[in-house]
Amino acid sequence: MSKPTHLRKTAGRVLLYLLLTVAAIIMIYPLYNGVVTSFLSPSNVDTYPPKLFPIEFYVQNYADALQQAPLVRFVMNSFIQSSGVMMAQLVMASLAAFAFAFLPFKGKQLVFLVFLSTMMIPWESTIIPNYLFIQGIQWDDTYMGLIAPFMASAFATFLIRQSFMSLPRDLYDAATIDGCSNLRYLVTIAVPLARPALGTLAVYSFLQTYNQYLWPLLITNKVEMRTVQIGITMLRDAEREMWAVIMAGVVLVMIPTLVLFFIANRQLIRGLTAGALKG
Amino acid sequence: MKRAFLILMVLALFAGMLPGCAPAAQPTKAPDQPVKIDFWFAMSGKTGEVVQTMVKRFNESQNEVFVTATFQGSYDDEINKLKAGLQSKNVPAVVQIYDLGTRLLTDLKVITPMQDFIDKEKFDISDIEKNILNYYTVDGKLQSMPFNSSNPVLYYNKDMFKAANLDPEKPPRTWAEVAEYSRKLTKKDASGKTVQYGNSFAFYGWFFEQWMAVSGQYYTNNENGRKARATEATFNNDRGVALLEWWKSMIDEGISQNLGRSTTDTKKAFDAGTVAMTLDSTAALRDRVDAAAGKFELGVGFLPRQNEEDYGKAGTIIGGASLWILNARPQAEQDAAWKFVKFMVAAEQQAFWHINTGYYPVHAKGYNHPDDVAWREKYPQFQVAIDQLHMAPTNNVTAGGLIGVFPEARQTVEKAIEAYMTGTTPTAKQALDEAARSITQSIQDYNDTVK
Repeated sequence: MSKPTHLRKTAGRVLLYLLLTVAAIIMIYPLYNGVVTSFLSPSNVDTYPPKLFPIEFYVQNYADALQQAPLVRFVMNSFIQSSGVMMAQLVMASLAAFAFAFLPFKGKQLVFLVFLSTMMIPWESTIIPNYLFIQGIQWDDTYMGLIAPFMASAFATFLIRQSFMSLPRDLYDAATIDGCSNLRYLVTIAVPLARPALGTLAVYSFLQTYNQYLWPLLITNKVEMRTVQIGITMLRDAEREMWAVIMAGVVLVMIPTLVLFFIANRQLIRGLTAGALKG
Repeated sequence: MKRAFLILMVLALFAGMLPGCAPAAQPTKAPDQPVKIDFWFAMSGKTGEVVQTMVKRFNESQNEVFVTATFQGSYDDEINKLKAGLQSKNVPAVVQIYDLGTRLLTDLKVITPMQDFIDKEKFDISDIEKNILNYYTVDGKLQSMPFNSSNPVLYYNKDMFKAANLDPEKPPRTWAEVAEYSRKLTKKDASGKTVQYGNSFAFYGWFFEQWMAVSGQYYTNNENGRKARATEATFNNDRGVALLEWWKSMIDEGISQNLGRSTTDTKKAFDAGTVAMTLDSTAALRDRVDAAAGKFELGVGFLPRQNEEDYGKAGTIIGGASLWILNARPQAEQDAAWKFVKFMVAAEQQAFWHINTGYYPVHAKGYNHPDDVAWREKYPQFQVAIDQLHMAPTNNVTAGGLIGVFPEARQTVEKAIEAYMTGTTPTAKQALDEAARSITQSIQDYNDTVK
């Protein structure tokens, strides 16, 4: 290896890391600022220009946030709701995607298109019928009411189908010849191979549900059944924003998602790189 | 391992199906049991805590009625939830709805007018502020009971006034004075960058409505929709144009900072000491007092008028929200709700409310309550909004506009103001004409649906 190329390589690498560092700072700054703000006392929140480094450690904000909204209960509710939706979507999407990817049946293309077309109906336009239905079967103020409308999703099915389609057809044929049933093929071969897509879907559906606001607000009347995003609005005063208290609430609410992310992260990276190193 | 995965997936599916708790059966009321009613409100944070405290006080004060108060999101979220709930009669007995929803709630015919309860009991409402009652009186009947009321005031930084050789006890009273003071209060650093602006007023539709009212102008025809149903927006007149031109001239001159539509941002700039004057609701007063403590001296003044003569002729509209009793609930619950409403507007509760929030008491005796008197001695700033309320004559200008599409109209006006201030729309007249045309159209569409 000649010297100039070596140098150029190093320079390229330095530049790359520089860019990554800048990107990381841009990504992390809002989070960092939120955490720092959550420890400021009311008199220091409005300091101008804002301080980059924490100047105090005022934990009263957390006590205030917990007093204004039962956040622990909300986090638990959101966790149950989001996990429920996530697991239901994984199961439903895998099963539906399997049919669309592997099973031959009449009108498959048409059914799939109709399936996909539901993605074009905005959720907002179906919220009232959904509400009346859930209300009608008395599922308001229950976890089931929070979870049920989101158990099946066209997007999830599409995502998993694409992943299944990329599996070699021969694999399915070989397994079938060996007497492997469809369900067994799905569970023992297709699902493990589609782990990256399933992982992505899991994180996506969990966060999507965790961030819901309007549906939980509509369907719950009891405070004990409410979810985190409503909790955050409970901290937001229409006339007097207490930023430090809001940020304390946001930090508390963020913890479970961060934990999930760190747990899933290793799985995701393993899944993403499992079949990627061929050359 | 694979089998375990399958079992896990199936288990997960069923775990999701387990209801969190069984739907509560409607409790049948034994004769000596208190009547249980729901109350929906839209106040969060510290203000929400104050509401909860008042509800708790009510529940402890007697044993006939038990109120469960639930926060339902912002005013807009709450009214949407109410509309959704009406179809299945899943509504509370009492609900707090903002001023803008008054026409809509009346038209929906889902409420029992407060007047009915008042007449039945010959309840004395002479102590409730006239101007506030005026706002919530539609078709000759008091539809809802005012609860939290506010008007806009000018907040200013007395320390900055002193530094600029202005009398800190004399806030500007007219538009010309605001511009003149702002010029003196604007400071630049060596490089020519502005470090302190004279003022910053949010492009908030409510301020526009208030400024039209203090100029003696109607927002819509038929005297604000009070004499007969409104059919047309009429704010695109000389006074409206003059207001926007004055406002923009200050921004162009660099003595007023454009911080957009949100008062959240102007408040923050004011607390941080980068602007000397700002406009906000009196409901923000308690928080301004707390934020300024130890940093600067806070001054409060009237909403500035176009000229001195206007002070004698017109006044501010009341803002805030009121309590509505819904007719979908059984009579026993409605009667219980009425007891609760009476409690919430009583002098003692309103004094407590005033001190803790800045919303002024809707009950005149609330001011004379010893707690309130002591509080105003300590913080004379709380007196200003009350004076401004009492200064305003009771007529259809200060009663405020009454249209079913007010939330939308307010946004249309905000968009028009912003477009003019940033130069997208060339003239103030054009901006207001376009807004008025669009609002007139919405009003007519709305009127067609309720006919």
